[in-house]
Amino acid sequence: MKSKTGYFIEKLIELILTLLVVSLLVFAAFSIIPGDAARVMLGPNASEAQVELLRAQLGLDKPLIVRYGSWLLGIITFNPGTSYAFNMSVAELIGQRLPVTVGMSVIAMLMVIIISYPLAVVSARKPGRLGDQICSVIGHVLFAIPPYAASLLLILLAGSLFSLVTVGNYVSPKDDFFGYVGCLLLPSFAIALPKIAMSFKFLRSSIIEQRASDYVRTSKSHGLSDLKILIRHVLPNSNVSSITIISIILSDILGGSLIVEQVFNLPGLGRLLLMAIERRDFPLLSGIVFYLAFITVILYFLSDIAASLADPRIRLK
Amino acid sequence: MPRHIHIVKVHHLTLSFPTRKDPNPKPILDDVDFGIRDGEILGLIGNSGCGKTMTSLAIAGLLPEAASITSGSIKFAGENLLEMKPKARRAMLGKDIGMIFQEPSTALDPLMTCGKQLEEVLTAHKDNQLTPEQRHKTITEMLETVGFTNAEEICGRYPHQLSGGQRQRVLIAGAALLKPRLLICDEPTSSLDTVTTVSILALLKDLCHKLHMTILFISHDLSAVRGFCDRVMVMKDGKIIDKDTASEILSHPKNTYTAELLTNARLDTRILGLEPANADYSKSPVLTAKDITAGYGRSLFERGSKKSGDNNILHDVSLEVFPNEILGLIGGSGSGKTTLIRSLLGLLPHSGTVNIKSTSVGAIFQDPVSCLNPAHTIRWHMEEALRASGKAKTINGTGSRSERKARTLARIIAVLEECGLGEKYLSRHPKELSGGQRQRVAIAMCLIQEPALIIADEPFSSLDASSSAELLKLMTDINRELGTAFLLITHNIHIVRQICPRVLVMDHGKICEEGITTEVLTAPKSECASALLEAERKIHGI
Repeated sequence: MKSKTGYFIEKLIELILTLLVVSLLVFAAFSIIPGDAARVMLGPNASEAQVELLRAQLGLDKPLIVRYGSWLLGIITFNPGTSYAFNMSVAELIGQRLPVTVGMSVIAMLMVIIISYPLAVVSARKPGRLGDQICSVIGHVLFAIPPYAASLLLILLAGSLFSLVTVGNYVSPKDDFFGYVGCLLLPSFAIALPKIAMSFKFLRSSIIEQRASDYVRTSKSHGLSDLKILIRHVLPNSNVSSITIISIILSDILGGSLIVEQVFNLPGLGRLLLMAIERRDFPLLSGIVFYLAFITVILYFLSDIAASLADPRIRLK
Repeated sequence: MPRHIHIVKVHHLTLSFPTRKDPNPKPILDDVDFGIRDGEILGLIGNSGCGKTMTSLAIAGLLPEAASITSGSIKFAGENLLEMKPKARRAMLGKDIGMIFQEPSTALDPLMTCGKQLEEVLTAHKDNQLTPEQRHKTITEMLETVGFTNAEEICGRYPHQLSGGQRQRVLIAGAALLKPRLLICDEPTSSLDTVTTVSILALLKDLCHKLHMTILFISHDLSAVRGFCDRVMVMKDGKIIDKDTASEILSHPKNTYTAELLTNARLDTRILGLEPANADYSKSPVLTAKDITAGYGRSLFERGSKKSGDNNILHDVSLEVFPNEILGLIGGSGSGKTTLIRSLLGLLPHSGTVNIKSTSVGAIFQDPVSCLNPAHTIRWHMEEALRASGKAKTINGTGSRSERKARTLARIIAVLEECGLGEKYLSRHPKELSGGQRQRVAIAMCLIQEPALIIADEPFSSLDASSSAELLKLMTDINRELGTAFLLITHNIHIVRQICPRVLVMDHGKICEEGITTEVLTAPKSECASALLEAERKIHGI
């Protein structure tokens, strides 16, 4: 029998190995893509000697392995260097933009959970009946709308037609927390919509499957009420499989927010990323990509831990 | 509650599954009329699909939503259950009527400890206000009653940490916790091995006396109720066609159908026309396995550690199967039979050598439901098997595409017919077949590959007695006519006695005894073989 800590340590080693591979991939990707940062910064009119000088200043002339080493050291100490384009610390730049992206992802995830769970429970109560059919049709429609299209629709509906919110406004959480949440609601909803459909469909079939299982029959024969069976047996069991789906959805949401930021004109990581790409800003670019990957890997790690806490069969093999 | 002669009285009960297309379908239960006497153990016997389970669910009030009772009444201690409100009926479950089911492996919530699940029985009934300490005491006492010496420990365990027999004991404890007057047992032992079955039956009988419970015992195995039930009812196509005392039904069956069930359960070789295999031990064996050692569940991190040796389930197992032979392999649950099969088939990494003379080996498994692809027809399954064998070319020969196709089809039909399934089954899907028919398809899929050996892993355990008897006959016919050797894994010693000339007995991942069936089964030398035989003797009274 394996202990809880044993499992945790095993997963932690896996996490560290994954992050190392990710760092290698990120570094390799940006070292292979064509385009010389020094050339881009100085413009087409600069002389070859000027470019060479800047390359030496930036450390671009050193061998790859040395550059990888120093880059990795910077990344893991949360000090990934200075942005070429902004002449600012990359950590500071990302720190400024992070509240938008993370806030949006968290709000979107909460929306997914709050909306899809009740819908799935209602739908799975009587599969094939009217309520289920309506939920399923709505689910299909939502699933088909990509976040950027949903964004435009929402801007049109909530912003222009009904003037419920001012689109394109951003308040920093330090100034006004509720204003900050308020201005993120609409973009979060745009990201959440297709994910709600995804999570709903998955939960619904998982609940239907669990309701037909033998232990539900046993609980019925013990005289438990339907509600008790749902809360104590059906939902915990369907949660075990949904944890994986939820973690996939969450990392999807992170990616989706990059696009929606553009549409809503929010100062998030997505826009920073675009600027970094345009200007061949390697420290900034690699920093953003690595930290996004880092967050995703951490999310999967947490979902593994959550799954093991939820399911004794994983915990106590 | 006043005592009645009949604790349950089912009066002309008719039940069907009406749909929009067919509002008056053929009834599942047709005018069922019987009583369960207070304090007795009543057996309800019949083949799968005869309505036994529906009868029990109707009494418990757990019928599927689609079911509709068209006429009749069910009285429990004088009260008409069908007129009661759903909430009142639910309150009876666990308190007045307890139930245990067929498959203990899935009948407990995997995420909850056994103690917590048992506690739910107590908390679900409001009139039973106990403090947590009292609840814990009630639960541990009941766990001790069902035969656990370490009740405290069992309370904290999760279902996957218990064996099948232990889980069934926990389930029995749950059903008996509030000392219900009626305990419905729906095939409680059909997925357990013989030794465990005997102990579970003894426990039920003991509980029946201790707690003054009445038991409705549902089974498809007529011989299993010997010595356990007081009275027996036989069901066929939703009707009760025979009822009598157990001893009378088992020794002097008057009804022809009852007699047929009895024959099937006993596997009477002369009546069924079974013949033991005629093995050829002078030829070289079709399968030789030497020093097989195998185990499960080594993750990346455990592989290098010293502990990994403990995971081995099989320890240096060697065996030979000769042409034309039906070799029996018996042993209790967890003795490593299935692990051995998986190693022989190459599905599990193992050390040691496996030599198979023929180009293909067929295999059929325990659960024919999940072995076939539900999305495809039987024809597709047969074609798939043919493709996989690589023998499609030799059967097809040359010629135009349509000629080759026709030849393949003819071959498939011929094999299906050999297995007792005709051409009309070609376009059917697995869900349109019965368990026995599905198992026939599995055999046909093996046969089309013309294997020299078919490995059969508990092929009978999910079938009722009649289907088992038919399948057994098919296997012996194939063995005699085509010379196919079988390696038959089963916990039914009786089957081995009838058709296997040689038998292996497994225990704790080792072969503890090997020899001529008649010798091993009359004078076993090893302890585990004696234990298996003793259990079988108790059940079947042979």
